[in-house]
Amino acid sequence: MSPEDRRRPQEATIVAPPPGSVADLFAEALPGLEMTPMQGALDVIIQIGRDDAHRVLEAAKHNDKLAFDFLRNLSGVDYEEQGLEVVYHLYSFKHRHNITIRAKVPAEDARIQSATDLWRAADWHEREARDMFGIDFEGHPNLVPILLPDDMLDHFPLRKDNPLAPLEEWQGEILGPKMGDAGYIPPGSGFEATPAAEGEEA
Amino acid sequence: MTNDPDLPAMTYDPELETIDLNINIGPQHPATHGVFRMVLVVDGERVEDLVPHIGYMHRGAEKLSEHMDYRQAIGYQDRTEYLAQFNAELCYVQAVEKLAGLVPPERAEYIRVILAELNRISSHFMFLGAFGTDLGVFGTSFTYAFRERENLLDLFEEVSGDRLMYAYFRPGGVAWDVPHNFVERVKWVCDQALIGAKDLDTLLTDNEIFIARTLNIGKLSIEDAIDFGASGPVLRACGLKFDLRRDEPYSIYDRFDFDIPVGSNGDSYDRYLVRLEEIRQSVRIVRQAIDQMPDGPILPEKLPRALRPAAGEVYMRCENPRGEYGIYLISRGSTQPYRLRIRSSSFCNLAALKHMTVGHYVADAVTILGSIDIVLCEVDR
Repeated sequence: MSPEDRRRPQEATIVAPPPGSVADLFAEALPGLEMTPMQGALDVIIQIGRDDAHRVLEAAKHNDKLAFDFLRNLSGVDYEEQGLEVVYHLYSFKHRHNITIRAKVPAEDARIQSATDLWRAADWHEREARDMFGIDFEGHPNLVPILLPDDMLDHFPLRKDNPLAPLEEWQGEILGPKMGDAGYIPPGSGFEATPAAEGEEA
Repeated sequence: MTNDPDLPAMTYDPELETIDLNINIGPQHPATHGVFRMVLVVDGERVEDLVPHIGYMHRGAEKLSEHMDYRQAIGYQDRTEYLAQFNAELCYVQAVEKLAGLVPPERAEYIRVILAELNRISSHFMFLGAFGTDLGVFGTSFTYAFRERENLLDLFEEVSGDRLMYAYFRPGGVAWDVPHNFVERVKWVCDQALIGAKDLDTLLTDNEIFIARTLNIGKLSIEDAIDFGASGPVLRACGLKFDLRRDEPYSIYDRFDFDIPVGSNGDSYDRYLVRLEEIRQSVRIVRQAIDQMPDGPILPEKLPRALRPAAGEVYMRCENPRGEYGIYLISRGSTQPYRLRIRSSSFCNLAALKHMTVGHYVADAVTILGSIDIVLCEVDR
């Protein structure tokens, strides 16, 4: 493997889940649904399109065989050229099974229907995903910044086109170009070496 | 209202107009356990509405971890969950192990479980001390709880070299072996923890003022708790017997015999009782683990110098003192995590605060916030 190949992001190999898994229950509950089931390290994952997302989540919550009543986690992911993703981790207390639902969202038109009408837990998670990825959750009752400042509406820190390094460079400019150099003493700190007076011996 | 006939009858004008008042608590306020701000809308003494404001402690731990080696990001777990550092580290290193295909040796598994359970005890002591102070027990419960917590922190310092920011677990095991007197020290610390739990039990559990301030305050039904994504003692206090150590066993938790304490009422008093009992159950686990702990290596023999897990994703969840702590880790084959999402238990439990508080008195808002046991660094990440 060449160094360039190593740096390039790799794709996960899709392993089909074993027959009789939770993904089959979804196929049963929603016939004709376009989805890609795969086996993750712990849970079964299904990948769906944005327009199906709310329909699938609604079935996940209300279908008796699925009955996912606990929204464990909701997060955004930025896959760069493949667009964004909203990931739902669900758990059912009734059947004690897990599912990960990944809904694809294009980066230039980042919007998806909100899940707050299904789980109240989605409220804060979706506000955080808006803060970090700029995903517009349609139908959310109060989509205002939660972790970021109230006026930070157009800057999405966790997107990959928002790298960390320039931020540090920018901080370096503020602090001064020589800050961090060995032996650098900030001006006005009172520790500057006083210039030796003329004729005085060092 | 008094029925004393000597006093003049109380009169009020039903036509009198009243206005709701906004009260701001925090961000710097001792009752908010950190930099948390809530705006209460009160009608007299009753809370009509509550607007929580978080994010004062947001440091971007998720973004920073994306720019670090897998092992460097361990330190950020300590700084995220600073009262249960070993538990948070355990969750993170297990997530990395799942992706990298590493299997830790037996001895490392036991060391990790012992330290994680002791950390749960120290976190719950912190809660018991702070909760008593919230309710006006002033310093007594705090000093009792901190006496025991210091014992535990001393032990953690002897093991890891640091009092709070341990960074001791590694993907595949632990950083170095425990000191030679570890077994005796753990046994002594367990005995002390039980004494401390008994002291606090006698101080608080049957205390009339304590009961008056907590019983039926901040009630949450099972359905609401599940809907809000609440977990840990907040969920178990409602009466649902759900503990990830038992229901989705990770590490070696399936080898130990322990009970899962549950409440029945879902109020602040039950949350206190559940945590108090969890201290005793954690001592049970530690005592079993210390007897079973084998000798041997603490890291796998073949450990790559640079961790480069295969592309894939995992959502690892662990039962932390405050509830379900989750790490959603995505690898795309490089030496740095592609995405690291921290599912914070305090964050989800705090979302239910408004639901629990509305309708209670202003003074109870402090009780309820204290009973959730939040860590603001974990809420804001």
